[in-house]
Amino acid sequence: MPFNQALRLSSVLLAAAAFIGLGLGANLPEWLLLLTGISLILTLLRTLDIDRFQRVFDRMRLSAMVWNILTVIAFAGFWADLLWISAELLPAGVHFLLILMVIKLFNLDQRRDYLHLYAISLMAILGSAASTTDLWYLPVFLAYLLMGVWTLLLYQLTKESGTGHSPASMTENAAVALQPGRREQITPELFWLANGLAVGALCLTVLIFFTIPRVSAGFGQKGSGEGLRTSGFSETVDLGMIGPIKRDPGIVMRVELSDRTGLQLDRFYLRGMAYDRYDGKSWTTRLAHRRALVESPAGTFSVRHISSRSPRPVGQLIRQTILLEALDTAVLFAAPHPESISGQFLAIQSDPTGAIYLPFPTSSRIEYTVHSSVTPVAPADLQSQPAVYTEVFKQHFLQIPESSERLGVLAREITQSKSSAYEKAQAVEAYLTKNYRYSLDIPSSVQTNPLEEFLFERKTGYCEHYATAMVMLLRAAGVPARLVTGFLATEWNEYGNYYLVRQRDAHAWVEIHLPNSGWVTMDPTPAVSEPSGDSQWFALSRVMDTLRLRWNRFFVQYNAADQLAVVRGLKEGTAVVRDRAWNSLSLLLAPAGDFAGKTLSYIVGGNVRLAAGFLSFVVLGVGLVIWLMQRKPWSRWRRSGPVIREHIVIGQIYRGVLKQIERHGIAKPRNATPQEFLLLVQQQWAAAAEFVATITELYCRGRFGKMILTQQEIDLAYHSLKQLTQLDPPAHT
Amino acid sequence: MKSAQLVASIQENIARVIKGKSRVIELAVVSLLARGHLLLEDVPGVGKTTLAHSLARSLDCSFKRIQFTSDLLPSDIVGVSIFNRQKQGFEFVPGPIFANIVLADEINRTTPKTQSSLLEAMSEAQISVDNQTYPLHQPFMVIATQNPAEYHGTFPLPESQLDRFLMRVQIGYPSPEEERKVLERPQSLHPAEALQPVATAQDVLALQQQVDDVLMEDSLLEYLLAIVLATRQSDLLSLGVSTRGALALSRAAKALAFVRGRAYCLPDDIKELAPAVLSHRIMVSRSQGLGHRSFEQSERIIQDLVESVSVPV
Repeated sequence: MPFNQALRLSSVLLAAAAFIGLGLGANLPEWLLLLTGISLILTLLRTLDIDRFQRVFDRMRLSAMVWNILTVIAFAGFWADLLWISAELLPAGVHFLLILMVIKLFNLDQRRDYLHLYAISLMAILGSAASTTDLWYLPVFLAYLLMGVWTLLLYQLTKESGTGHSPASMTENAAVALQPGRREQITPELFWLANGLAVGALCLTVLIFFTIPRVSAGFGQKGSGEGLRTSGFSETVDLGMIGPIKRDPGIVMRVELSDRTGLQLDRFYLRGMAYDRYDGKSWTTRLAHRRALVESPAGTFSVRHISSRSPRPVGQLIRQTILLEALDTAVLFAAPHPESISGQFLAIQSDPTGAIYLPFPTSSRIEYTVHSSVTPVAPADLQSQPAVYTEVFKQHFLQIPESSERLGVLAREITQSKSSAYEKAQAVEAYLTKNYRYSLDIPSSVQTNPLEEFLFERKTGYCEHYATAMVMLLRAAGVPARLVTGFLATEWNEYGNYYLVRQRDAHAWVEIHLPNSGWVTMDPTPAVSEPSGDSQWFALSRVMDTLRLRWNRFFVQYNAADQLAVVRGLKEGTAVVRDRAWNSLSLLLAPAGDFAGKTLSYIVGGNVRLAAGFLSFVVLGVGLVIWLMQRKPWSRWRRSGPVIREHIVIGQIYRGVLKQIERHGIAKPRNATPQEFLLLVQQQWAAAAEFVATITELYCRGRFGKMILTQQEIDLAYHSLKQLTQLDPPAHT
Repeated sequence: MKSAQLVASIQENIARVIKGKSRVIELAVVSLLARGHLLLEDVPGVGKTTLAHSLARSLDCSFKRIQFTSDLLPSDIVGVSIFNRQKQGFEFVPGPIFANIVLADEINRTTPKTQSSLLEAMSEAQISVDNQTYPLHQPFMVIATQNPAEYHGTFPLPESQLDRFLMRVQIGYPSPEEERKVLERPQSLHPAEALQPVATAQDVLALQQQVDDVLMEDSLLEYLLAIVLATRQSDLLSLGVSTRGALALSRAAKALAFVRGRAYCLPDDIKELAPAVLSHRIMVSRSQGLGHRSFEQSERIIQDLVESVSVPV
């Protein structure tokens, strides 16, 4: 079968597959099914070169005007359909699509008509995908895929068969391009090659589909597990290991707060795990037995349980939406103390210290929402004497490693005058904050007793040292306390209303137990003045991060549920879709507008230098745009038809030839055509004529024939030009 | 058969009769494929009629010859309605214009009235008689001849009619060797009668369709328009080339490219055809000498104008 005929056949079959998909899936009116079916069959018979049908088609050949009018009528019908008859977008669109397909089937003359038909078929198969989830769709789709591969292959083959052959075939180009190529037949090899290609591509796609994780799964993200060991998600915390992490700016999570009233703005604690036992070098937890949380209602897990002796009163609830990057830990972070957690989890666990875990670490970014209650210290606890605790409780939260007499002395010294547990804790906190210096530059050599070293010798350290010291001092003074690790969020993004939490925000602090208030958060570590994050550049980076977050939310994490929502939206009507799209867009763009507004107000606020810079930036930009508009560097490419690189290259080579020959005194007259110039060269410089002839022919084909030259031909032209430059100059008469 | 071969075989066929005039034959074929009409202007006896005759014979389509004389009437060309007694009504009897190729011999010998009756036929490929319109056969081509050497009793063709010819071609005397070959041929039979047709009317229509698809690159179009503009701005001419003339040049250039086996035009196609296509459409201004407009003079002026336009690189 000749290529051209095969292309026509496979194009019609492609359209037929798409039509069958629609016909089986969408609920179509019978007349439309009949009309499209008959048109397809007629076109199919016509493609098979059956003379009688050829004649039918010749008789049906209406003028282009009539078809255009029909198309316009169909379009009007589509609106009527959309507004009154079906009153839904999907069916109306499908009806319109089928009518367009019929019109196109009777108009398959030029190559672009085929392209139109492919576009219509693609939309039809997509439309059928939207209207069904049945299994029969699979064979139809496979047929469509096979035909698609064939059609693309043949389209390209027929497109290139007319061009780019050896120069000898030039004379036949006109004929080849316009008549069905009789020489080019589909051989058995090609037949099996194309089918094999289709099947192979399908197998590969299936393989990729099942093995490669989704984009949103964070497979390729930076492995951030190694440094996280000490920041609170393993069974032990070695003192002096957190230092390196404190310099890592990698992003760990983003915490979105719907309402920030009543919170301390620059210090937001995200609790990970709590530890009760210190052996002089490292912290461990002995309360690690986890229990599964109860799911009620669906998707929401209640965290609140009887971990402490006295039930905690419920205070103000704050709602946090946390987007946690992929970590190699199962711990979920939340502000103390979580009441409930919801997200797409199968199960959630918790241990008696109130830490929340997934059953196993996830390898992908996860999103969850936590409600935490913030409780102020009960008034009764401000004054009262330390309560009496059970032995088990004492074992856990009043444990002190041996050989720490100096510690006991110091503890007594600090808390002597205080009576209540809370006052003692405040005294220790104030003492540590005041008398010790914060520094990350601690030699990480093996320390025999890092705590004593910190307390009595170096007096310099960071959060872990402070927190450990405070817990130990309090325990020595008889106040139950424990070490907590997690993150201290300080970087608020005002454009997206969330905290950006980085690796370096890893933190350790203290929780003390008060009889009436339960566990209360305290932090002896002094606030470290971070490099100022308030300049405009930091604001810009915050805007960028907000955009990134939104992008993730709306595009990368687009999943089956969203897909279903879109399809449902299509079925329900256009207004919903429009609203959704508009919402997404405005949400995505709001931070940018916000930023622009703030910048403007900043400028108005009197920063003259910045204003001048901004203004000159705008002026430069406008100037650049005007310059581009005048020079129109793109107009060269906007000429009719696609300009392909080879055209430019062959033009350059030809101009190179002109320059080269002009150097020898033979200039091309302004009014001479390429062929006339060739004659001139033949008369005046016979040695060069051969090369000029080769390049001239290729140049004419590329430049005036707009044919795509093969790489060999371009190479040949280059080669000829090179030989031309090496020739001896012509003997002038 | 491939279209390139088809075109070549038509030319070869004619060349068997018209010796040594391959350029004229090529131009005749170009006129045919460009859906144009051809005006042959030369002295008697150099083969004008034979060229038209052998083109028609090569094409297996109908051929009529009209000898234009001073007493020829329009109805002698287009046909006449006569009363049919049996049918009790008028009946149209088609004239000799109803043929694929019409040879209008010595067209300048007849009156302007009769000449104009050819007008509608040539431009619209249809004629109107008694408010009735009759389409002519397709393909349709008029080959007219005129003798420039005689002026007594001739009526020079009106401007409007000259513009309707795609090109004006001079045949010229053959070289002595070619003339000798002509003389050596057996004289018993007219050489054109012996020709066998190599293409059908359907083939010609298909070829004409393909000529339309020949590519003329944008810069060539601008080159062509620059030539046309030059004729309008020249001081040597009192009348430049019309838009119809520009269109004719473009069609002819495409046809020439096709005849030469290309699917695209080159600047050479335009440059080569400009004198033949444009020279009969201009009027030489009076400053260039009074009297008749000679063929050579106007061709030379066009040639000079073309040389003044730069070719796109």
